[in-house]
Amino acid sequence: MTAATPDPAPTDATPSVTLRGLTKVYDGTTVVDALDLDIASGEFFSLLGPSGCGKTTTLRMIAGFSDPTSGSILVGGEDVTSTPPHRRDVNTVFQSYALFEHLDVRGNVGFGLRRRGVDRATLKRRVSEMLELVELGDRGKERPSRLSGGQRQRVALARALINEPKVLLLDEPLAALDLKLRHAMQAELKSIQRRVGITFLFVTHDQDEALSMSDRVAIMNEGVIEQCGTPEDVYERPTSVFAAGFIGVSNLMSGTWADGSVTISPSVSIPAPGHQGSADGEAVSVAVRPEKIWLSELTPAMFRMPGTIVATTYHGATTQHVVSISPDLTLTVLEQNLPRMRAEDRWIPGDRVELGWLPEHTVVLT
Amino acid sequence: MARPRRVERKPALAVAVTVVFFAWLYLPILAVALFSLNDKKSLSRFSGFSLRWYDELVHNSALIDSLVASLEIASVATAGSLVLGTMLALGLERVTSRRGRVIGAVTLLPLVTPEIVTGVAALLLFTGVGLKLSMGTVILAEITFSIAYVTVIVRGRLAGVSREVEEAARDLGCTPFQAVRLVTLPTLVPALVGAGLLVFALVFDDFVLAFFTTGVDPQPLPVRVYSSIRFGVSPAINAIGTLMLLASALLIVAALVLPRLLGRGTSSLDLITGGRR
Repeated sequence: MTAATPDPAPTDATPSVTLRGLTKVYDGTTVVDALDLDIASGEFFSLLGPSGCGKTTTLRMIAGFSDPTSGSILVGGEDVTSTPPHRRDVNTVFQSYALFEHLDVRGNVGFGLRRRGVDRATLKRRVSEMLELVELGDRGKERPSRLSGGQRQRVALARALINEPKVLLLDEPLAALDLKLRHAMQAELKSIQRRVGITFLFVTHDQDEALSMSDRVAIMNEGVIEQCGTPEDVYERPTSVFAAGFIGVSNLMSGTWADGSVTISPSVSIPAPGHQGSADGEAVSVAVRPEKIWLSELTPAMFRMPGTIVATTYHGATTQHVVSISPDLTLTVLEQNLPRMRAEDRWIPGDRVELGWLPEHTVVLT
Repeated sequence: MARPRRVERKPALAVAVTVVFFAWLYLPILAVALFSLNDKKSLSRFSGFSLRWYDELVHNSALIDSLVASLEIASVATAGSLVLGTMLALGLERVTSRRGRVIGAVTLLPLVTPEIVTGVAALLLFTGVGLKLSMGTVILAEITFSIAYVTVIVRGRLAGVSREVEEAARDLGCTPFQAVRLVTLPTLVPALVGAGLLVFALVFDDFVLAFFTTGVDPQPLPVRVYSSIRFGVSPAINAIGTLMLLASALLIVAALVLPRLLGRGTSSLDLITGGRR
């Protein structure tokens, strides 16, 4: 975490989850590499990364299904590194939901409480409350096999939440749902988390999911956290080439730092007034988001360059243009299709344009 | 296209083959049932209905003893192979090493070993270590032979159950042992019922192993039937065959109907017949 990353005010002084130097080595390959992480109580925290980046292994170590090679795991301030899963105050929503097919919905949801010996009346009341929360009040007697994917997902969520764990671990729980249902569940998960106030640690490879639901996102790659911050932080101010490329689309250009600007080619030099900490002559990269680049209504404050449209693709709400600046430099520009734009005003390949963006949208990556 | 209606016509040849196949399969069995009701001893001419062979069967204490012995052998062998085979399947499912996979393959050998080899080997082993041949030796041999069937069926079901299901149980407060008892085993019930029925049926009428490993008295039913046939076939054998047929039919109906009556989604027989899933 960088100093520039503002933490949301923690609701509790003790973090829900603390990882210190957490490492996992499989057959000589380091899958998780000395991870340090603090997740505040009540936070919706996402671990985002490509498959094989170590995010699921991290989750499994916190749940207790996988033993760390070294390092420690604290849940609610208590060291649980060598505690077996059934004695950790942590519950998991599995990617496959892992429902118990031999029990009905109520049996599934009440399983954890029954293990703890909660009395019948309380059990019945709590299960009913939970089913109401996930809007399955009328499906209590159904077998899981008779439910739809979205309903199975809710049962899995209710079964974990009913135990009121210190942390709820979610392992790509939305991956198996179709797009529309996934969007609906994203909103619902977020609202359920707000209502119950339990810390959620959400693992996903879907940046859209991570950005739209999380208080904070950690981008993981090859066993290390590349960047950790609010969704806006990691999107607007990526700190590494990987982060800039993994979240959203970026125009990445490599060049040399000198005198407050980055020289991409002899004819192109991009000023980056806000950047500090690089020595003259150092190799750096510049990232600019396609939607930050303007093709019209440029203002004097913007950095400008002439170019030629080489391709345009219509995406409904937006249009994507590929603009050639010089033979070895093209930029992608994403333009909103605003109501006032007329079809005959659209750019077509071959048009000479001037593009520009505000200096604060130039992100220098070292 | 020129022949759009062809699909809808019933293929006459396929129907004919099916009819012949079922006739070939079931007519001899129907003949056994029919002649068990014959009022004469003839096995070729049906002269009238009577229950005299059933009456004779009830009073033939040697046959009844053998029937009881076979039921006992099949019950104990089924229970024993279910326990051992399930434990083996659970263990093998967790194995990832090469050596473990080799052991997994070796457990399947009894399925392809000629039974006569197993029978002779069992006989040599029992006499070699000085075990007196008895019902106990038959049961031991049958368990050894049946474990592979249980393991194959249970592993098939386990493969369809996500590893995460057992982890979910542990996540919700189960010790590893409780997770197996409260979640894994109940999930396996259809497979266990299916494997149990199969093993019971296989062991109950198994002749080869029983022949090599049985003591003198009481002999398992198939061995008794075989030895009595050498002195001329009594229609009482037909009667016992018919009763066994009825019993197995009832068992199959029960296996199909019971799980649905109890509200289970899938029937245990679906595992064997491959239906519904």
